[in-house]
Amino acid sequence: MKILRITVLCMAAGAAGYGQGLDLKNLDRLSEKASDTTEVTLDGALLKLAAKFLSADDPDQAKIKKLVAELKGIYVRVFEFDHEGVYGESDVTAIRKQVQSQGWSRIIGIRSKKDTENAEIYLKEGRDGGLAIICANPKELTVVNIVGKISLDELSDLGGNLGVPKIDVEKQKSFTNKKEDD
Amino acid sequence: MSYLEDDLKQALRRTDPSEDFTERVLARLNGAPVSEPSWWERIRILIEPPRVQWVALSLMASILIPAVSFHYHEQQRMQAQGEKAKEQLLFAVRIAGNKLHRVQQKVLETSRTDTL
Repeated sequence: MKILRITVLCMAAGAAGYGQGLDLKNLDRLSEKASDTTEVTLDGALLKLAAKFLSADDPDQAKIKKLVAELKGIYVRVFEFDHEGVYGESDVTAIRKQVQSQGWSRIIGIRSKKDTENAEIYLKEGRDGGLAIICANPKELTVVNIVGKISLDELSDLGGNLGVPKIDVEKQKSFTNKKEDD
Repeated sequence: MSYLEDDLKQALRRTDPSEDFTERVLARLNGAPVSEPSWWERIRILIEPPRVQWVALSLMASILIPAVSFHYHEQQRMQAQGEKAKEQLLFAVRIAGNKLHRVQQKVLETSRTDTL
């Protein structure tokens, strides 16, 4: 079993960082069952250190540098499984409950019966806000949590960098509402 | 007066030194060979305490060299940690971007289907 584990832990670590972002600890147990696990934890001083090393001459890196200046943390968990049904709905629900109770707005929500893939994007405005992405299909679970002041404009600026697309959030919002109404 | 007395007077009569006498004496003094230090003097030189300047220099070196070495290694460590963190950051943004892209594609696909 090939396991890709990328863990960068902040020296100041733990409680402070997790207190502001989503608590992803309940996903830790999935790494034992997954065939591939990708884990990125960048918070506090480490995020600022990473930003210092971004080149100002590279346009893409310069944009990311500007974006990161307002951020407090980036947390990524990707679990890939050999078989279906290794993780349960309860694993996703635990994350979903957090975002719902902490005043996040779901800007995009997709439930595809065809390929049984669910994707949700949550956004929270303000200094303690951020972006949360939950993508779940039978053989893969991805949770991305970007913590910090990330406005819709900044999200648009992210578009075009390293494959991040531009999203017309207002359009998607209305679309999501329409889908939910149906 | 006896002949003997005359002879003595003659032999011990006052005579002036030659004109180059002073120069010859000084020349002998300046050219006198330096005496080799004795074994005792050699030991004394060996155990003689070093000069203050050398002690100060050694102390400064013993402080500065480790300090500079530590600073250099710390810089190297920070550089490596920073580069690693940068790679993690780019990687994380790439994953977030890919997921956003996929979600956008899904939304567009569903939108097209609904329009049709």
